[in-house]
Amino acid sequence: MNETVPGAAPAVPDSAVPATGRPAPTRRAGLLVAGAAALALCAALSLAAGSRAVPLGTVWHALAGDDAGRDGLVVTGLRVPRTVIGLAVGAALGVAGAVAQGVTRNPLASPTTLGINAGASFAVVTAIYALRLEHPAQYLWFAFGGAALATVAVLALARRAGELDPVRLALGGTVLAAVLASWTSAVMLASHRTLDEARFWLAGSLAGRQTGILLPVLAPLATGLVLALAIAPALNALALGDETAQALGVPVARIRAAGGLAVVLLAASSVAVAGPLSFVGLAAPHLVRRLLGADHRWLVPGCLVAGPLLLLGSDIAGRVVLAPAELEVGIVTAFLGAPVLALLARKAAR
Amino acid sequence: MSGPMGGPMSDRTARGGAGAAREPGAARTAQTAGPAPAADTVPRAPRLRRPFPYGHGSALARQRRRTALLSAAATALLAVLLALGLGAGEVHVPPLDALRALLGLGDTADVMLVQELRAPRAAAAIVAGAGLAVAGAVMQRVLRNPLASPDVVGVTGGASLGAVAVLATGAPAALTPAGALGGGTLAALLLAALSWRGGVTVTRIVLVGLAVQQGLAAVVNLFIVRFPAELAADALQWTTGSVYGRTWTETGTGGALVLAGIVLVLAGHRRLAVLDLGDESAGGLGLAPNAARLQLLLLAVLLASVAAALTGPVGFVALAVPHVVRFLAGPPTAGSLALTALGGAVLLLASDLAVLHLLPVHGLPVGVVTATLGAPWLLVLMLRRLKPATAESTPR
Repeated sequence: MNETVPGAAPAVPDSAVPATGRPAPTRRAGLLVAGAAALALCAALSLAAGSRAVPLGTVWHALAGDDAGRDGLVVTGLRVPRTVIGLAVGAALGVAGAVAQGVTRNPLASPTTLGINAGASFAVVTAIYALRLEHPAQYLWFAFGGAALATVAVLALARRAGELDPVRLALGGTVLAAVLASWTSAVMLASHRTLDEARFWLAGSLAGRQTGILLPVLAPLATGLVLALAIAPALNALALGDETAQALGVPVARIRAAGGLAVVLLAASSVAVAGPLSFVGLAAPHLVRRLLGADHRWLVPGCLVAGPLLLLGSDIAGRVVLAPAELEVGIVTAFLGAPVLALLARKAAR
Repeated sequence: MSGPMGGPMSDRTARGGAGAAREPGAARTAQTAGPAPAADTVPRAPRLRRPFPYGHGSALARQRRRTALLSAAATALLAVLLALGLGAGEVHVPPLDALRALLGLGDTADVMLVQELRAPRAAAAIVAGAGLAVAGAVMQRVLRNPLASPDVVGVTGGASLGAVAVLATGAPAALTPAGALGGGTLAALLLAALSWRGGVTVTRIVLVGLAVQQGLAAVVNLFIVRFPAELAADALQWTTGSVYGRTWTETGTGGALVLAGIVLVLAGHRRLAVLDLGDESAGGLGLAPNAARLQLLLLAVLLASVAAALTGPVGFVALAVPHVVRFLAGPPTAGSLALTALGGAVLLLASDLAVLHLLPVHGLPVGVVTATLGAPWLLVLMLRRLKPATAESTPR
């Protein structure tokens, strides 16, 4: 019957055989440092690239506060907030994806699966329609609330006898997301003003936001991150199956609940700030697992680096491909995500 | 998106298939066993003897009576809905007069109103509902996955993209259905190409289909963001599914194609039933499983694309109706496939009536109502079905 349980079947493939092919700690640390260096380079590029290309030297001067010219203003006023937001959102999405895949033991799980994006989209569109909001900063709490509510609903659907059932989680998430998506379209079709306001937010973007937008979600972001790092060792035991984990003394139900909470906090914060973004939460854990192995104690920190790397990379691509026009980062990630998902699916299904 | 699953369902279909494959012995044992432990997923080899003829009291006969009864009820419901739908509106026509007007009798103004304005829309809903539901039923059976449906594996996503692309080029609106048909077929080809790896496996088709659907949805999203506002609204309307403003020309063509498709599916039902027994048994019975599966899938894709060309990709009809029918009428047979077609038509027609006359906001696409009506049903049925199997859904 496992053949017909695609998602839930071979969980994290490598985790069942932890002894073979595990990279040495020094190599892992080296890879993590290399990843951080790549991320720094990416951040620098994100400050420099765009419709108005700024040389790296000028970027440096602008950051140091020496350059009050046009280029300096572009860097400090537009690109620094965009890059900082990209770093925070990417990290949150990456870690949320790693925890979601660990908790559900499903290699195709991601925050999107839990109805996060659908819930946030519906809440924001309804708020725009009913309250006549006009700026992404105003959407923040609606997005956060909608995402959290949808996820709690999906988790509640998946609860059975006090435990989260991975299969019900996948089913409930898919169906709830589809219904919410149709309601979102209904609201947008009922009011053209809403459609015009919301469609840009719905694409998911890092542009046009100030660093201050991160302040309200700082607390949930930090809590979610600490929670994710704290349960990382227990996720390793969970990967062996519920019964084995129980036998090893891991409180399975409580770890699942904590993991669910971490995913809610992290993903709801990121969707509140940047709008619905797919792919990063799905791909970052797979990328890191390939490089660092399936040990969650490395996977979670690795996703902390890989998430922003993917998101900033996509954002830069979106600025460069159609220059001087820009492509929303949500569209770029969706384009990159589909082939990756197809490849993963081919592999998972063997 | 994550992997849908299909443990207990494949078990059921396997049993139903045994019944439909004219092996009453196997069907009987399976059905009288009731909620047997789901562990024996491997269907037993069909017996050669035929100890139980189609008697009056056999489970098979009882199921047949039930399916027939349900079909009659669905037909009656469809007739009532049709009469109501043809009659209701700004100009009210009593239901019986409306049915007479459909046949060209009675007041000429009524005839004009009913025949030219209201009937095409109702016919489009019926045709598309039947087509989508049958396509969904075939996909779910062939792919042995309760979540497999044109909505999930990218066919309707392709239809949306085709229609939106036609809108983008500024071509006349009459070409939009052609775009949807082409897009749906192209998506299916893409799916086949991506999931072919020296053969197809069921799991791979479903998972790759999810990816194809997401990719296509991203492209549609790109169009909607880049369009000017009015075009964006048009595109959104199309991609949610709507029967607004259908004419006889497109409904007639679509109706003929969908009817042909349903007849072909019914004609190929025996192969569907043999496939249910599992690849090895099917091979043993002289059927090449891969080829048969591809043919049936192709048929389902074409049905769904034609339906989507008519009304846009109306969500949840293909997904939910087969489940509801299975819940009411038991394991799938040729009869329940016909019932599925009727059920899809009833659901879409009823939803369209709700959109037109019950909802306070005008101009909503019918897909919103089908999703709202279909989802709770689907969730309840599937969660209930999952209960006995959850214990063994743990990974290998």
